[in-house]
Amino acid sequence: MENSIVKEKIVKDVLPKNADSITEEKIIRDLLPQKFGKWGKIWVGVLVAICLIGMFAYYRQLRYGLVVTSMRDYASWGIYISNFVFFVAISLVGSLITAVFRLAGVKWSTPLTRIAEVIAVAAIIFASIIIIVDMGSPERFYFLILYGRVQSPIIWDVIVITTYFFISILLLYYPLLPDIKILLRFKENTGKRLYKFYSFIGSFWKGSHKQYLLNKKAINVLCITIIPVAFSIHTVTSWLFATTYRPGWDSTNFGAYFIAGAFLVGAGAVVVAMYVFRKADHLEKYITEDHFEKMGRILVLLSLLYLYFNVNEFLTPYFKMKESESAYLNGLFIGDFAHIFWFAILAGMILPIIILLFKKGRKPLPVFIVGVMVVVGAWFKRYLIVTPTLLHPFLPMHDVPANYRHYFPSWEEWAITMGSLAGVCLVITVLTRIFPIIPIQETLNEQHEIAK
Amino acid sequence: MKSLNKILIGSLSIILVLSSYNGFSQAAEKGDLNVAVNYFITNNKVPQLMVKVNTKINGKFLNVGGINLKLFLDKDSTGTFIGNVITNEKGEATAYIPTSVKAEWATSSKHTFLATFDGNKKYAPARGDLTVAKAKILIDATSDKTVTASVFEMKDTTWTPVKGVDVVLAIRRMDADLTIDEKPTFTTDSTGKASGDFKRDSIPGDARGNITLVAKIVDNDQYGNLSIEKTVPWGNKFVPVNTFNERTLFATRNKAPVWILFIAYSIAVSVWGVLIMLVFNLFRIKKLGRDV
Repeated sequence: MENSIVKEKIVKDVLPKNADSITEEKIIRDLLPQKFGKWGKIWVGVLVAICLIGMFAYYRQLRYGLVVTSMRDYASWGIYISNFVFFVAISLVGSLITAVFRLAGVKWSTPLTRIAEVIAVAAIIFASIIIIVDMGSPERFYFLILYGRVQSPIIWDVIVITTYFFISILLLYYPLLPDIKILLRFKENTGKRLYKFYSFIGSFWKGSHKQYLLNKKAINVLCITIIPVAFSIHTVTSWLFATTYRPGWDSTNFGAYFIAGAFLVGAGAVVVAMYVFRKADHLEKYITEDHFEKMGRILVLLSLLYLYFNVNEFLTPYFKMKESESAYLNGLFIGDFAHIFWFAILAGMILPIIILLFKKGRKPLPVFIVGVMVVVGAWFKRYLIVTPTLLHPFLPMHDVPANYRHYFPSWEEWAITMGSLAGVCLVITVLTRIFPIIPIQETLNEQHEIAK
Repeated sequence: MKSLNKILIGSLSIILVLSSYNGFSQAAEKGDLNVAVNYFITNNKVPQLMVKVNTKINGKFLNVGGINLKLFLDKDSTGTFIGNVITNEKGEATAYIPTSVKAEWATSSKHTFLATFDGNKKYAPARGDLTVAKAKILIDATSDKTVTASVFEMKDTTWTPVKGVDVVLAIRRMDADLTIDEKPTFTTDSTGKASGDFKRDSIPGDARGNITLVAKIVDNDQYGNLSIEKTVPWGNKFVPVNTFNERTLFATRNKAPVWILFIAYSIAVSVWGVLIMLVFNLFRIKKLGRDV
């Protein structure tokens, strides 16, 4: 009796409320990738334009060197590294939504898994690119591989990012196999080129029982593997800072602090993407208000967790106010960086908590707005982790030009950063044009489960 | 009621106009600056000037940065111009005496240094000066560990020993100088010499046991600040023992502990082993698809 109640509840959670009325054919037609409409084309055009400006700025950086940036002796890491940390953070959502939820038996997350995986792949690609941009000459990356020492945190980062990228690709690919079979069936919707591409990557999938078992086993192994790797990637990113003895970075808390922040920004990105795809592709029957309600609750939990880590990270140093750290802390609380700091805390954590604690705040539009706040707040939070510390070294700055004491990104840095952000959006957009944004086969399976 | 409003608005307008009229406000008083000039000569080489600028606000002296000062030798003219300096956040600025004033420098054994500030929006013009006599200091260390400093003053064209000058005999350390015994200063006798015994036998030196002795005259009204150094092998040999390379992952490639490398490589290999297995799994799925 108890089991049947549980099953009934799961089924209710999993499927759209009016699932009974949706036929299999209709589900497939609803979920097939759609061609860009007028607004879709404009969106892609704008993104491509921003990327091209970014590429021109990168050409200038290659041509004239890193001197075109505002990075100097002290602020040697600027928005490139902030952006890198942001991308790594956002990519962790793949492990949260896909792996953690899947292993925990959270069924309602099915329509969100592909969104999370696509975001993870796009973000990790640009995390890799932006770190090479930050190196200045790209051949340094080659030397890093050739002469790198396994003892160096930058090599750990290269290893874990490569690993995570590979796992993310596999985690996107394996669950796609059954959907590719469906895509091949609907040739008239796909077009010649895409049909060829689908045939190349998945024509071998026949949906046999043995294939299904192997696929299921592989997905489970991936879900188990991606969690420690995801934790490693962001812990190692935090260690790039924490292993350096500097005000604001000298913390044993950094690994957990970064991971909590990463899960928050990842979840924020997913709700933003959920809302956009729901509106753009008319997926209201599949991404329901209930999904926003549940993701809203998760966002509250993650915001509270991250706020708790922030209190730990800033309140105790503030209480002690060590002389060597006071300039850095005052800079954040009441100085040059105060407006960004309080914006990141308020918009990125406190306001989302207040809004999402109310049931009305967990409706699609408010959750979307909160998601945007979380993502924007998180970007600025990464900037605050990187730059203020570099501008407040333990040993005072002596005999340096005035512009070494401050950092404001040059237009080339802004252009490259915006280009990379546009690049992430472009990769997500292209992937959702090629692949179904909601797993079709899994949705059909759940439909059959209900029918039983 | 309407007329009351008109009166109120009219009054407010008059108050606003009057309060914004500059003629009623007093021009802000400019602050006064104190300019102090200090003279340094190290190892009897090129003399250096250090200017320090501060101001008194609410009974406290505060250093003033960003003050542009002109430095002159003896008189405020083009031929005696030493240079322009700008004070840093500690209110300090330094300048070496350039060769362009060599002729003026040779004319006398006593000189006055002038530092002038022309004033700006915040501070009134200010100036400071310092008169010093040309002097030099020598240091000698004998095998019985006696340190002797000799002070001479330029009189006419000859160096003459000076009596009664306080000299610090010390050892250079990283942050400050440590006197060679408990006595803070030694006074020169009629031959211009001041001697002290070195009583810091156990002090660590460098890898060869070398330490640097220093003899210095500090803030003397006549001669300014003079110092001279000499290296002697009187310290304990200090060989740092560093186990860093034996215990840390950050050691150079071939010195990192094997067990740490083993763990690091094992993690990478096991994760990539799983991934390779999963890629292999794809080929199995592909093969099954062909067989169907």
